[in-house]
Order: sequence, then C-alpha cells, then structure tokens
Amino acid sequence: MSAYLRLAGVNKTFGNFTALGHIDLEVEKGEFVTFLGPSGSGKTTTLMVIAGFEKATRGEITVADQSLAHLAPQERNIGIVFQNYALFPHKTAAENVYFPLQMRKVGKKEGMKKAAEMLDLVGLKGFAHRLPKELSGGQQQRVALARALVFEPDLLLLDEPLGALDKNLREQMQIEIKRIQKRLGVTTIFVTHDQTEAMSMSDRIVVFSNGAIEQAAAPLDIYHRPATRFVADFIGESNLLEATITDAATGKAHSPVLGEVTCGAEGLPPLTDGQAVSLLIRPEHLKLSREPKEGRQNAQMVIETIVNYGDNAVVIGHAGDQQIRVRVPGADVVILKEGDSCHFSWTADAVFVLDK
Amino acid sequence: MNTLMRWIGIAVVIFIAAPLVIVVPMSFSTAASLQFPPPGYSWGYYQQFFSDPSWLRPAWNSIYIATMNTLLTMALVVPATFALVRHKFWGKSFANLMMMMPMAVPHIVMAVGYYSYFGELKLVHSKLGVILAHSCLSVPITFLVLSANLKGFDLTLERAARSLGATPGQVFRHITLPILKPGLAISALFAFIQSFDETVVAIFISGRDAETLPRKMFDSIREEADPVIAVISTLLFAVVFAGLIAPSLIKGLRRMAGGTPSK
Repeated sequence: MSAYLRLAGVNKTFGNFTALGHIDLEVEKGEFVTFLGPSGSGKTTTLMVIAGFEKATRGEITVADQSLAHLAPQERNIGIVFQNYALFPHKTAAENVYFPLQMRKVGKKEGMKKAAEMLDLVGLKGFAHRLPKELSGGQQQRVALARALVFEPDLLLLDEPLGALDKNLREQMQIEIKRIQKRLGVTTIFVTHDQTEAMSMSDRIVVFSNGAIEQAAAPLDIYHRPATRFVADFIGESNLLEATITDAATGKAHSPVLGEVTCGAEGLPPLTDGQAVSLLIRPEHLKLSREPKEGRQNAQMVIETIVNYGDNAVVIGHAGDQQIRVRVPGADVVILKEGDSCHFSWTADAVFVLDK
Repeated sequence: MNTLMRWIGIAVVIFIAAPLVIVVPMSFSTAASLQFPPPGYSWGYYQQFFSDPSWLRPAWNSIYIATMNTLLTMALVVPATFALVRHKFWGKSFANLMMMMPMAVPHIVMAVGYYSYFGELKLVHSKLGVILAHSCLSVPITFLVLSANLKGFDLTLERAARSLGATPGQVFRHITLPILKPGLAISALFAFIQSFDETVVAIFISGRDAETLPRKMFDSIREEADPVIAVISTLLFAVVFAGLIAPSLIKGLRRMAGGTPSK
C-alpha cells in the first residue's frame, strides 16, 4: 500500500531562519497522525505548508500521488480546524457548516440538510440556529469540526484544537474526535504539544524538534523505544543518565551515579566498548526501598521532594548531583519522608540505551 | 471614592447636556431673537424653517454634499486602510502620517489653501469643490475608525474560509465585508457628520451656490441671531439621537418578535 500523503524533502526558510530542515513523511489513508513537539519545533509550519498557507522553499507534497504544489489553499480540499476554531461570527452554526458546500455550489436546501446531518454527527442537534457567540467552547469546537468535515475532505488537519478547553472537556473531545475520525475514515493530522493527547489519540506520533522529525512511530514505541535523547526527555517522565559502555557484548555500562549497570537487550543499538551513551529509566520502572533489593540492581539517593497525585506520587531525589524521579503507588508514599536516604532499584530490561 | 466618582459623572453629564437643554426650549420660543429662558412657546420657527427656501436650500446642499463626501471618502479610505493595515511596503509610515495630516493642520489653514488652489481650478463656489475639500478632511477620522476595526479582525477567519474552498474574492464578499459592516457603517457615519458639521472650509469656498447649513447658520447668527438656528440644532440633535437609539431599538423589537433565539 503506497502512502496517501507524502512529504518529500520539504524545506522552509524565512530569510536566514530555517523553520523546516528536510521533512520526509508518509501517511497512510485513514491514519491518525499526531505532530508533537515544543512550540517553534516546526509542527505548525509543516501543517501550514500542507494546507497551502505557507509555500515550501524546497520539496514536494503529494496527496494520492497528486502534487499540491500548484494548488491554492481553496483548491486543495483539506479541512482544517484552527486553534481558535475560526467560526464565522456572523453566521449561525448551520450556516458555518454550510459554507464549504456553498463554495462548492451545493444548493441551499441540500447543503443545509447536509450541514444539519453533520451537526448531528458531532452531537449538536438543536444548536443549528445559534450564533458562535451563543455556544460554549466545546460546542464551537464541534461546529468547527463539522465544518471541516462536511465537504468530505481528502485530509483533516487539526491545529492544537483542544488547547483552549478545560481538562474534562478536553478528554471528552479527544474521545469524540477519535470516534468521528474513525467513523468517517478521514486521514487526519493532529498538531499538539500535549503528549498525553498525542498518546491517547494517535495511530502514529511524529515528534518534531528544531524543524526536523526526531522520530515517527506508534505511541508505545515512542514511549518505550525513543530514537533520541530529545524524544526520551520530551515524552513522558524520564531519568536520563550519562554512562560509558564497558562491555558491548553483554550490555554492561558504567555510570558515575548508578555504578555498574546491565542494560536491557531489547532495542540495543550497536555498541562499542568505551562508547559514551545515555541510559533511560522511566520513573515507574524504579522501586524505592530502605535496604538494597535482592535480584535487582540498586543505588542510593536522598529524597528531596514528594509530589502527590493521589493514586500515585513522584518522589524526586538526588544521587550525587543527578536528579532521580521515582513513581510510586500512592499508598507507599506515607512511609517516605523528605530528607530520608533510601535505595532505588531496577532491572536490566528497564534500562534503555540511547546514543549520547 | 465611589460617591465622588458618581458626582463627577453627574457633573460631566450636566456639562455636556447643558447646551442642549438651553437650545431645545429656545427653538420653540416666541422671541424675535435668541433668548433664554423664552418668553413664550410656539411652533413658529419650525414653520419658518420648513417654508423658507433660504434655509431649505442650504439644508439640501448640506445633505447632498455630506452624502457625496461620504461616498468619495469611503472609496478612498477603504482600500487605503486595507493596504496600510495588512501590507508592508516602502514608505508605509509616511503614508500613515499623511492620512492623519488633515487632522493636525488647523481647518483655517486648510481653508486658505483650498481657496487659493481651487480658485485656479475654478472649483471655488461649487459643490464639487466643497465635496473634495470635505473628503480630505474626513479621511483621518474614517481611517482611524476603520483601521481600528481592521486591526481587530482575526485573519484566521480568512484562512479558514480559504481552506473551506473560497477564492480570495469570495472570502472578501462572504466573510470580510459582512464582519466589517458595523465598522464600515460607523466610519461612513463619521464622514457624513464631519462634512455636515464643517464650517470653516465651507465659509471660505462654498459661496452662495453651494452654501451649506453651518455656513448659513454662521451668517445668520452674525447678522440677526435668528431663532431658526435653534430649530436646526434641535432637529440635528433629534436625528443623531434617533440614529444612536435606532439600532438598539430594532434589536429589542426583533428579540420581542423572537427572531434571534437568546441563550
């Protein structure tokens, strides 16, 4: 199966500033892909290049093997949901949704009927005649989604659409967007800087940094097998420790903080003796105890802060000058005190090796 | 603090309303010249205004000139504002400055300039001359109102419309123009009022043929203090007042009729 959307060597410069280095990406038909990265990493610029609002300096974009290069934004048949929804304030919800059909010369009667069906699908039955200002943030969001989908676009682009919603509504909309996207089977690109959003919604996550793609993979792969230090640090909480490979064959490394460490075999990059690497251990893979734990690798730390989340807690401590984060079940936290010295332990398969 | 603010507020309202409070009763006066308080009340001067061609002609002149001025000003200012707010180009800040210039230069200086300049072009004492001069004077205020509106316009709306399949022309017709309509209406109203109010330039170049209402009022007050000018003031006040409350009145009526469902 060939890729539906293809970005080949897309580059974008503004004067001396390189916004996008060299973006290569393929997206399958019907796939839900998330662009994740800090602000200024190039994810929104990439979206705008696909939409046609920015022109790529070099490179090519194709949808179903058709180049978009000479198509104006209105000719691309791409639905976009903007960060602030961009609903037309002088048009009702139904008129907003009818607008793309109106532009496609669909008659008013038929178009308004389709608009009503689409509003139904996004759960806004009975709100058709409201103006945007008479709708809540979540409802406006749904209208924007309906408007971007009603004309059966080849692509759906969502530019941080949930940023302005509160947490509960945001989770609700995540599920809602995912449901509608699956139902319509539309190829979707979702831009966000929120990693939990990316984790919960995507078929695949593309991590951006400094105008380049760091990694493009399924959410759990990104989490468990980050390709670079940046991805390991950006996705989830992480302990990243400097180390030197002492025995490449058995996966042994020496870390000034942890001492002798055996690394997990899975996903080991080709290593050489004496190579400087970073070791990644996720906080939930560490355990705290008073005494060293049998059958696990151990090291010592001093507890500095305990952050409670109710069902779990993050214990932040220091081993030498290295900060260590340990996620512990909420019930365990009562026996711990700030200032206590304790042991933290891990197993070999929790240690993931990254190029330095 | 709160009480003090309230009293200051009341004082300001009285200060602003005082001329009106005096002018309105004087327009119903029976006195032969402007006098307050009036010795008696009648409709006499209203009848005189509506039957005397020497008052009606300048009134029609003023309406005609102000209307033409509004059309011309908007035709000039709307494209200029779009260019100045949305685009970057060489000499932009100079162009911005020039748009505001007529506001900074005293009207009397402008008037003298028009008088000598239009004299050569045979535009003095013509309606066209007054319209041209007034349009120049209307530019700053219309530009100010419109550019404030345009700066507040969310450009994402236009992007959204483009992504939904609208050409730039359709975006302007279906999105930009309707959203800017109130701003356009207000700036046009300002252009109209500016011209209707303007006295200094009108005195210099309108002559007898293009005589405007403010010019006629000025002459009248200098020569005889005719209470008809109180009538005109009252009528103008009534028109402006109606213009201000009409929109909210219409909105209220519509709501009562159930046209727009409320939240």
